[in-house]
Amino acid sequence: SMPTLLQKLFSKRAVGNDNGNARDLTCVSLFFSWASSEFDLAQIRLIVYQDCERRGRQVLFDSKAIHKLDASEPYTRPASDVNMLGEMMFGSVSMSYKGSTLKIHHIRSPPQLMVSKVFSTRFGSSTSGSTNTLQDSFESMSQTFPSHTSSIAHSNPVDMPSRGHSEDGDSGIARSASLSSLLATPLPSPGSSFSSGCASSYQRRWLRSQATSLQHGPMPRWNTEEMFSLSDESCSSNPAMIRRKKIAISIIISLPEREEENHNFQEFFFSHFPLFESHMNKLKTAIERAMIVCRRIAESSQRVQVYLCRVMEALGEFRMTVWNLYMAPRISEPVWLSMISQSTERNLLCQRFLKEMSLLMDHGAKSQFLSALLTAVLTHHLAWVPTVMPSSLPPIKTACQKPASHTVDLLAKSHPYNPLWAQLGDLYGALGSPVRVCRTVVVGRRRELVQRVLYILSYFIRCSDLQEHVQPQGQMENPDNPTNPCSSQTTDPTPEKTFPPKPDPLKPTACVIEKALNPESVPGTFVEQNNDTLLTDTKSTNPSSSLESSTVRPECTEMGQECFGEDGDSVGGGLEHILANQSPLLHRVQFHIGSPRETENEGQAGGLSRAGCGRGLDRKLHQRLLTDIRRNESSDSALGDSDDEETSLQELYMATEQKEYELPLPSYQVESRASVNHFGRSLLGGYCPQYMPDFALHGISSDLGLKQCLMSDLEHTVLHPALDEPVAEALCIVADTDRLSVQVVTSQRRVCEGGRLGRDVMVSNLVYTLITSVLQLYALNIASDFCVMHLEDRLQELYFKSRSLAEYLRGQTRVHVKELGLALGIESSDIPLLAAVASTHSPYVAQILL
Amino acid sequence: MNALVALCHFCELHGPRTLFCTEAVHPPSPSPPQPGSAIPGDRDREADREGEGLTMRANSSATQRADMCEGCRSLPASHPGFVSVDSETGIRYLSHQHPRQPQLFSVVRQACVRSLSCEVCPGREGPIFFGDEQHGFVFSHTFFIKDSLARGFQRWYSIVVVAMDRIYLINSWPFLLRHLRQTIQSLQDTALKVFDNEQCVCPQRAVRMNSAFSPAVFPHQRSGNAARSLTSLTQHPNLWASLHSSFSWLLKACGSRLTEKLLEGAPTEDTLVLIERQTEQEEERSGWDGAEGGGSNPQPSQSESVQPKDFQFDDGRQEDLLGPKFKSLRHLRQVLGANDFRQLAWHVLMGNQVIWRGADPGLIQSAFNVLKALLPVGCVRAVLYSPHYEEAYRCNFLALTHVSSSEFSMLVDVLNVERGCVNPVSDDDILSLYHEFFLNVSFSWFVFLSGPTLLNKIEVALSNENLSVEVVSLCLLCLKEEWMNKVKVLFKFSKVDGRGKEDTQKVLALLGATGPGEEDNVRLLKFWMTGLSKLYKSHLMTAVRGGERTLSQ
Repeated sequence: SMPTLLQKLFSKRAVGNDNGNARDLTCVSLFFSWASSEFDLAQIRLIVYQDCERRGRQVLFDSKAIHKLDASEPYTRPASDVNMLGEMMFGSVSMSYKGSTLKIHHIRSPPQLMVSKVFSTRFGSSTSGSTNTLQDSFESMSQTFPSHTSSIAHSNPVDMPSRGHSEDGDSGIARSASLSSLLATPLPSPGSSFSSGCASSYQRRWLRSQATSLQHGPMPRWNTEEMFSLSDESCSSNPAMIRRKKIAISIIISLPEREEENHNFQEFFFSHFPLFESHMNKLKTAIERAMIVCRRIAESSQRVQVYLCRVMEALGEFRMTVWNLYMAPRISEPVWLSMISQSTERNLLCQRFLKEMSLLMDHGAKSQFLSALLTAVLTHHLAWVPTVMPSSLPPIKTACQKPASHTVDLLAKSHPYNPLWAQLGDLYGALGSPVRVCRTVVVGRRRELVQRVLYILSYFIRCSDLQEHVQPQGQMENPDNPTNPCSSQTTDPTPEKTFPPKPDPLKPTACVIEKALNPESVPGTFVEQNNDTLLTDTKSTNPSSSLESSTVRPECTEMGQECFGEDGDSVGGGLEHILANQSPLLHRVQFHIGSPRETENEGQAGGLSRAGCGRGLDRKLHQRLLTDIRRNESSDSALGDSDDEETSLQELYMATEQKEYELPLPSYQVESRASVNHFGRSLLGGYCPQYMPDFALHGISSDLGLKQCLMSDLEHTVLHPALDEPVAEALCIVADTDRLSVQVVTSQRRVCEGGRLGRDVMVSNLVYTLITSVLQLYALNIASDFCVMHLEDRLQELYFKSRSLAEYLRGQTRVHVKELGLALGIESSDIPLLAAVASTHSPYVAQILL
Repeated sequence: MNALVALCHFCELHGPRTLFCTEAVHPPSPSPPQPGSAIPGDRDREADREGEGLTMRANSSATQRADMCEGCRSLPASHPGFVSVDSETGIRYLSHQHPRQPQLFSVVRQACVRSLSCEVCPGREGPIFFGDEQHGFVFSHTFFIKDSLARGFQRWYSIVVVAMDRIYLINSWPFLLRHLRQTIQSLQDTALKVFDNEQCVCPQRAVRMNSAFSPAVFPHQRSGNAARSLTSLTQHPNLWASLHSSFSWLLKACGSRLTEKLLEGAPTEDTLVLIERQTEQEEERSGWDGAEGGGSNPQPSQSESVQPKDFQFDDGRQEDLLGPKFKSLRHLRQVLGANDFRQLAWHVLMGNQVIWRGADPGLIQSAFNVLKALLPVGCVRAVLYSPHYEEAYRCNFLALTHVSSSEFSMLVDVLNVERGCVNPVSDDDILSLYHEFFLNVSFSWFVFLSGPTLLNKIEVALSNENLSVEVVSLCLLCLKEEWMNKVKVLFKFSKVDGRGKEDTQKVLALLGATGPGEEDNVRLLKFWMTGLSKLYKSHLMTAVRGGERTLSQ
């Protein structure tokens, strides 16, 4: 078979060696690493900066200035560039906005990317200005560099908050948006359903396009009020004090020297930005805590030491996470994405997939490992649901092929949303209501077994496939490229080429008027062309007056000539002429312009208006006249006069009434290719050296590390979801291939009995029969292509069942499990799965079952 | 792209100014939001603005326009602006000096001020991203344009892309940078040529060196110089039209830079059959009125969804017929009684011909309407109001006015209907029916012993009064889909692959068709096979002929 694009791209980077064992053929070679070169941890630098009204700017942390924490002198002279970086972080003019600000800078030499978040600070009531202690310590140290010991005496412990005042420091991180954000989550009303298959996908995308629409203007959303807490007290802060101090946290990433690597990293960084940002938020929380904790320490050098230690630790974690995100092995051929993108290899993929699945089924047969795992995955990674919701459209190509959603396609064109965002939500299964996000970790010492599980799950954890449309390489250099505004001039002085002139009998008229309207413009073919459109527009928008306008046009011409003279050059003279004569036409229009009572006065002026020329043109002329009058008048005084203000408001008002010159949209020549930098490729991980918080799916060798970090990680996900929308719950499915157990860990329940990570998964009977019948068909030597089709049919049955369940629950106060079993064929073990599926199309289900 | 692009200038006299702005105006939503799903937003914006700094305050058009020179202007005030329409999507790209939408005016103003006087870019030329939820997010690229008359022989500009979608804007950084650089380069190159020309004619450096500096004259001199427009700096008469085209293109290209391929489930067999029948009908019709040119009834459009509802009896117009009706399967069951209903349903499911004979066509039609829900659409062949008997292969539902007989059929005689009862209140009062069977008794008995699994499950649902009619019909849909999926497997196995009896038995077992009622189950599966769509069948056949190399695309 033909190697796929990705195989070609990453064949050299495949992790592990292909030992040619036919049985395990697939897995080893199916994983690849993203990055083409090593990524040095020291490439990531952290700076914490403070901007204080009273004290100016101070660096509170710079990883470049710190060598080793255990050394006697952990910090060295501040880096030479910090002043410049401070300017970039805070800007040259201070902003008084109290929410957080995000900035990204590109530094050319040495090539670096800088991501900054600037926060207003929040104090507790009793500790006004209490960062001063830390800051004092820093100041004195940098002043007395290189010996910091003397600084201790200078530091001022008076500002210390009383110890013991609030010992429970862990829970104090102020959060502004958790509850309100959940309430703000749009919940579509029950009973509304689309006839089209992709209802929930469509709905999600539509809401996103509206929520991020520019046409609604700025809409402060759920995370606007994010601040930097300098106190662990939850009391409300004095608003007057908020603006006194800003804290900026910047991550500076040194870019690879080689052009190609540089390009690759940047493409990765910008497409995966939400993940980077989420980790920055985590870092920020750690820095907040470090500052709060260290303030409780009286002794200055110790205080600084504790602070530095904590921040370095957090930075270390951040660096590791970023390194992992970039370097960890990925599934190079996720089954679902490969199947929908490479139709020619479909059979091969089906064969391989079923083979792996039957091997795994045999392996965990006794414990129903696969059934439990798929129950959990289908319950929480819900993006499979829209892919089985039956389409109501006739198939375009082959009968049994899934059609691409037509409605979503239309939506994307007319109301663009971010397909990367949609994909991220798909992978995390954020399709239900309330929004839950899920990731799956496969744990096990046996690498090939873990990889097999990952491979199989990459069929069930689904997302849309992304295509990229870019200008062809040569096109960019083409001088006629639409991004090159001066092309018509540089390549060809005759603008007719760009705007082919249309023969129009009205051209002379238009030309004269244009000269008058636009003294700047050189009379030329292009200008004439524009005016042709103008006149046509006036006509077309005013159908009732189309007859009139054609009859009055000569009058217009006459007026134009009268006003501006035959040659149209002497604008000033024309104006004088008009002003002197005070033509009735002008009189009327002055009355007309910008008056909100325009329509009322229409009656009075109507006679004239209809007798005069087309309204639009009429107005433009007079608008121009007024402007020119003003210009003439004000040219002597640099200050202008008071009338200007009024007139300019009128101009703005006028502008909304005018009809623009229509120009053709430049032709859009693009080349389409499979997108490489997208979450479908990057978040389906392979067998990784350690737990990866961002991945929707990956494997690790042991769950030792998991126990330490998973809970806090899930909590962080709820507080700072990379998804950029409020999340009610974060979950992690932990599948242990050694113990053959499947557990679900949730951000909502901290304690699990017996020191376990989470709850065991109850095997859904429907899932069990689904898998067994597919694998039995496969065992009966039925074509694997057909088996996969059958699998899809069975998944569709789950969807239909969820519809019945949703309908059953409507208006129901009590759920009779026995009744569900008898009448709907739904057993209690199926209810969590079907309720989750139902919540994607019938949001009220979650409310009933809660 | 849900964004706008603006060209900004730092005027030496007037500070940061927005020169030219291209917005994308989207058509009204293709599908309205569902009731109750409020779009977030619409807060009191005035309150939100409270905290804005002094420099940011200058968002009124008045203060800005009062103070303007040629360098601060793009289009003359009278100029109506430019528009380009994307006919495919209906998006209109509008260009003016300032945004048309009032709520965007201050957003752009803010972006302009921040880009040119607040944010710091090393080297002063280059890209920066900045923004917050309140003011929107901005990708800004600052650059210099040569001007022989300006201080330092250059003027400072920026192009800003403003959006509310922070993440998409950041995702688009490489794309925007690549294309804006090109736009900027083009402006700079053109201005450089003008600059070089001007310097040849009149070297400004020499002029300045030689002219005596006088503090009194200086500001006046400079104010004269500050008035040069970008058009004059580039000597490009159509500059703004060209920039409009560039910016419109950029917005379009950036918005459609990434597309997703999102799949839906394959249509159900019922949908496929309906589509096939519709197409056949239309072909017939176009055959009928081919002379008329056939322009009025085109093929079913792709976007037109098919409702699998009342297709069979669309010429019947049930609503027009007065008299008692069957409202649901449950209703029918109540009227017939559990046993008779079971027999009737059994015959329907097995594909036996069901003949209803009676004088009330409305009633019979309503009976067929509820009964056909038991079968896949492809299995329903109904003949209404036939004056004579039709063979079973032609129809499995037959409404007759005369008596007739057939071996494998069931006859329901409607004997006594209370005519004129428009408003049937109590179901039991509506009618009493008499039915007789032209079948041997033993066969009927068999039905009572086990029956097909499907029928048993349907009866459980129908008899449970707790379940609403809607739940029952969804339940029926589930069961039918479940059994259609079994039908597909059996078809593949026996008809396509032609497997032997032993293997077939295995497949039946794995499908859950064996055990009690096995014989009925198999009968049902075989009958339902006839209801598979042509498309599906031919697909499986082709796949086999192609050695299972599916011609997927």
